[in-house]
Amino acid sequence: MSCLASRPTAPVLARWGFFISIQSLAALVALVLLAGCGPSVNRYLLIETSLRAHDPKGADAIVAAAEKDYGSKSRVLYGMDRGMTLQLAGDYQQSNAVLEQAEEELDRLYTRRIRTETLAFLTNDAALPYEGDSYEQVLINVLKALNYATMGQWQDALVEARRIDHRLNVLSDRTKEKNAYRDDGFARYLSGILYESTGDVSNAFIAYRNAYETFEATRAWSHTAVPSQLRADLLRTAEALHFTHELAEYQQLFPETRWETSQALQQLAQVVVISYNGRAPHKEDQFLDLPISLDALQLVLLNRGLLQSNRHSNRGVDTVLYGLNGRVVRVALPRLVPQKTQVPVDTVNLISDNGVRVMVNTELAHNVTAQADNALSERMAGITVKALARAATKFALAEGTTRGAQQAAGKDAGPWVGLLVGLLTKGLAVASEEADKRSWQTLPDEFHLARIWVPAGRYQVQSSASGPLDPLKLEPMRTLSLAPGETAVLIQRVMP
Amino acid sequence: MIVMDRGRIGFVALVALMLAGCVQETKITRVDSGVVTDLSGRWNDTDSRIVAESMVKEALEYPWLNNFASSKHRQPVVVVGTIQNSSHEHINVNTFVTDLERELTNSQKVTFVAGKGDRDELRTERKEQAMYAREDTQKAPGKEIGADYMMKGSIATILDEADGTKAVFYQVDLQMVDLESNAKVWFGQKKIKKVVEKKRSIF
Repeated sequence: MSCLASRPTAPVLARWGFFISIQSLAALVALVLLAGCGPSVNRYLLIETSLRAHDPKGADAIVAAAEKDYGSKSRVLYGMDRGMTLQLAGDYQQSNAVLEQAEEELDRLYTRRIRTETLAFLTNDAALPYEGDSYEQVLINVLKALNYATMGQWQDALVEARRIDHRLNVLSDRTKEKNAYRDDGFARYLSGILYESTGDVSNAFIAYRNAYETFEATRAWSHTAVPSQLRADLLRTAEALHFTHELAEYQQLFPETRWETSQALQQLAQVVVISYNGRAPHKEDQFLDLPISLDALQLVLLNRGLLQSNRHSNRGVDTVLYGLNGRVVRVALPRLVPQKTQVPVDTVNLISDNGVRVMVNTELAHNVTAQADNALSERMAGITVKALARAATKFALAEGTTRGAQQAAGKDAGPWVGLLVGLLTKGLAVASEEADKRSWQTLPDEFHLARIWVPAGRYQVQSSASGPLDPLKLEPMRTLSLAPGETAVLIQRVMP
Repeated sequence: MIVMDRGRIGFVALVALMLAGCVQETKITRVDSGVVTDLSGRWNDTDSRIVAESMVKEALEYPWLNNFASSKHRQPVVVVGTIQNSSHEHINVNTFVTDLERELTNSQKVTFVAGKGDRDELRTERKEQAMYAREDTQKAPGKEIGADYMMKGSIATILDEADGTKAVFYQVDLQMVDLESNAKVWFGQKKIKKVVEKKRSIF
């Protein structure tokens, strides 16, 4: 605070030859620094509003209009967000095209550019190209598979199932940590459903078994139990393949599971319901202001006491205060903010032409918030070390520049120039410190799944979430025409 | 005046530099369609062409054609069935199947008839002709040529990857199945193996 009290008001002769008052320069500096700190319009809130109003096309238009705002470093994120909104808008083909581009970009990002890494080290991790967490990368293929399946292009859906398998195999080879994300129960389970729907029972069984083992192995952190439907699927496919040993084993493991044989289901049609419930978590900055002198400590304590927050909106004030003080090192770390869904189970009603109503409840198959939490925890140690090193480097550079400028300005102008350069460089070091808060936010909080076999025919589909009542939740009815042996995939978005 | 001229020269040089930068953004070069262009390691036009050439050679070399011609005294009629994509990529099999159809048709040794997808369109056209076209130009139904063989096949991949190096193995199998007896009279196979290496870091 002492820096503020002693702030000069006299004009200073700048080295490049024109006069400028200290007040106007300070205002300019503050403006420049604050410009990057102001809260930008949160597109995700707009998307959410559109989705709540059952206007997925509007949500997609918001993402499409913001393409330039994503920037060249977030091409993959744009592809992920757009792929999801296009899918919800029913444009499955375009959704796949955008997701394919994101996947190709992801492939290119394997090769890291030292220039970009250095720049990110000197500014913040948001300057790095966004690759997404491993679970998000797998979900690109999951979404593509769902798009193809919804369009009835089963061979192409299977291509995605094979890609999921390959991606997870590579991931599992690369990741040694047992509790880390190295396999994906939901992606495996969906692959199994795709294989079985195309008559490849052998691959379906392998996928179901892998899914079951992954659900079991990751239950502690994924907060997802083995879906009861998966148990029935394992029993059915084991029986169809005449795997008597495996069948007996699973019967012993799931004595209460009710299941039908493949033969009994042969003449029926299948409906697979995938429900996207709630909103994915988002990330926010968690600032650690490390004072390296006593008055800096007082400033940090006073600042925190006055403003009671470490949120984005106060960054401008912090920047000016800490820049003037020059003895505060700021470290920014990402923090996950869950947005848990209020809909634990949702119900889908299939009403046949003759008025028979079939009700199916979905069950949790993938907890995105738990995945995001685990992914961030895995990376946190690395992020922290990097952030501390970056903060120290920035401070050292700012200190060096300030002292160099002071010496160059000479004895008379030195203190003022030092103050200005210090405000600029240290303020910039504080202002540029920002955690990488990017994540695939158009994802749901949870993926729910249900499978049901019904007699062939025409059905009206009615979805009703069994959470708190919300008049906006009622969706228009859809119609399904199903032939024997046919599989239809229904995707529905349930908010919040 | 000298200052002005220098300023202009500097400005022109700057504009020229900027334009040069812009020119580098997209560069287009026309190349022969036979030139190998392996960019990403994925299935590309070169793979499709290699498969088509190999299959045409095999199909014409093996005795099934002569056997049929000598017993029936006419060219065999072939319809293209499903080419199953069991690979890790969304491969458009039509490119090499069309190449194959063209080469075999031009060799005057095989007659291809329209496959399932095309037939529906042709039949609809005939139905519409029956309603709207002049009588002497209408094409009557029931005069399609029944195929003797169906060409079926599959394209499969085996992938192996570790530390940025990926080995991709493609296997394309085609077979000619006698529509009467289900006997397989010809097998064509082409294998392609690629190793894709990606650097972990560049400047």
